[in-house]
Amino acid sequence: MKKNSISEKRKRRTVWVSYLWSMPSLLLILLIVIFPIFYTGYISFTNMNVYHWTDYTFHGLENYKDALLVLDNGFVAALLLTILWTAVNMVLQLIIAYVLASLLNIRDLKLRNLYKTLLIFPWAMPGYVSILLWKTGMFNSQFGLLNQWLVRFGFEPVRWLAGDVIAFACCTVVNLWLALPFMITIIDGALHSIDQSFYESARLEGAGWFKSTYYITVPMIKSIITPAIVITAFTTFKQFDVIYLLTQQVGAKTGADIHTILTYAYEKAFITNNYGYSSAISIIIFILLIGFSMLINQRSNKTGGEG
Amino acid sequence: MKRRYKKILILTAVNLFFVSLCIIILIPILYALSVSLNEENSLLSTDFSFIPRHFTFMNYKAVFVEEPILVWFKNSSILAVITLFVSLGAGIPAAYIFSRKRFPGRKLILQLLVLLYAFPSLLSMIALYKLLSPMGLINTKLGLIIVYTGTMAVFALWNMKGYFDTIPREIEEAAMIDGTSSVQLVLRVVLPLAKPTIVVTAMMVLIFVWNEYIFAINFMMGSDTYTLAAGLYSLQATEMSGSWPVFSAAAIVVSIPILVIFFALQRYMTAGLTTGGVKG
Repeated sequence: MKKNSISEKRKRRTVWVSYLWSMPSLLLILLIVIFPIFYTGYISFTNMNVYHWTDYTFHGLENYKDALLVLDNGFVAALLLTILWTAVNMVLQLIIAYVLASLLNIRDLKLRNLYKTLLIFPWAMPGYVSILLWKTGMFNSQFGLLNQWLVRFGFEPVRWLAGDVIAFACCTVVNLWLALPFMITIIDGALHSIDQSFYESARLEGAGWFKSTYYITVPMIKSIITPAIVITAFTTFKQFDVIYLLTQQVGAKTGADIHTILTYAYEKAFITNNYGYSSAISIIIFILLIGFSMLINQRSNKTGGEG
Repeated sequence: MKRRYKKILILTAVNLFFVSLCIIILIPILYALSVSLNEENSLLSTDFSFIPRHFTFMNYKAVFVEEPILVWFKNSSILAVITLFVSLGAGIPAAYIFSRKRFPGRKLILQLLVLLYAFPSLLSMIALYKLLSPMGLINTKLGLIIVYTGTMAVFALWNMKGYFDTIPREIEEAAMIDGTSSVQLVLRVVLPLAKPTIVVTAMMVLIFVWNEYIFAINFMMGSDTYTLAAGLYSLQATEMSGSWPVFSAAAIVVSIPILVIFFALQRYMTAGLTTGGVKG
């Protein structure tokens, strides 16, 4: 009985000490991250905009109705485009990164480390700088390098960022350029962790490249790279910089009208100054993210992950 | 013999492939570098070459003389250092506790952290603006520091907790049996073990502050208060047509510190990132 109360006391002390030591961090997060999200929720029920900055009134679920039910407002289109964007980018990234990482691991490739260093260079550059360099250096219709080359070979210059489809393709190229180094590094690391003897015995049994890829490599690296894939999928889903900086900077719109949910929310907030509506978009995205992470938690629990 | 030839052929092909791939990938950066060093701004000429014909540092001089880049540099450095100290100072003990102790609410908080990590702070920008504005914190460094610290506190706690999980407890237990006090334990045993994750997390915080432009351009008014990222953004937005060479020189200048930090700490990167944050 006495022993029990001592362990009880100790337990309470652990709780107390734990919260005391985590308090600074948790307080920062609570005040600067969580509270503004709640406040965003509050704004989303009002008609706050640039004319009603302080004298806003409540108008219930109006903003949510506008976003989800009035298709002309463009939120649903932006959401669909974001899903397409994420899917296209993830598929291309995985395939290209896998091929490159495999090629890097070919036996007797002496310059492997040099190639790796050069290939991860885009990762080391500040992202927004690279995007701006792409925008002016490569895609600019007058002095961009791509058009200079086209003209030299006798073709008409192309307005790379003007149409929706071509701008989407250009954004994808830049995003791949930015994101591939991380994926290559992850897959390369995973490939190193596979015991070479598996391949040798597979070869002895007469399995070709496809068979050993399908039966050995993919299953072996799957669990190692899954967390990185999940993280990258989230990053791609909430990608803002590439699309915003390439096509829709204030005063420098290029004519393409591609919006992901993030650039959409930003435009509603800071260009058309519809704060209430934009906040509603934020909350919808937040709820979507809750859904996603619950889904991921469930799956990782099923596969025996720590959660 | 035939097999050997085939192997050499494949190796040559792969090498050729990688050489051209590396060149293609580096073109945007090389092009900017070359434009920034070229005296003739004959951007429209069709005989452009990657090696500048008339070598010059004019554009770099213009960056430092005509643009307040040193002020921006100072602003960015102040923001980065304070954000770094606050978020790591708060984050290290919390990450250690969340990795080692079990207490009610822990699991819930961890799940919440993943969610907050996924939620871009951009989406609560209006709320942050509306909250900071009556306190007079818009257009001040403190305002930006507050925003950055919050975002980075989530990242720091989550990333370092993941790394602490991979350090075996036995080491600490052994030290405890030897009679080390808990403060000593943390200072002498835990912190040295956690060095890789502290370094990587610190680097990520630095890079985040260095590269953040969207809050900076919306919360700061006037180019004296800009950070490097906001300054560079405004450079390209306002004077782009006239001074693309100056902009590319500025872009190179801004990138160099980040490149140096990145490649100096690259060996920690993979370990600190893959075993850390991304793991549940």
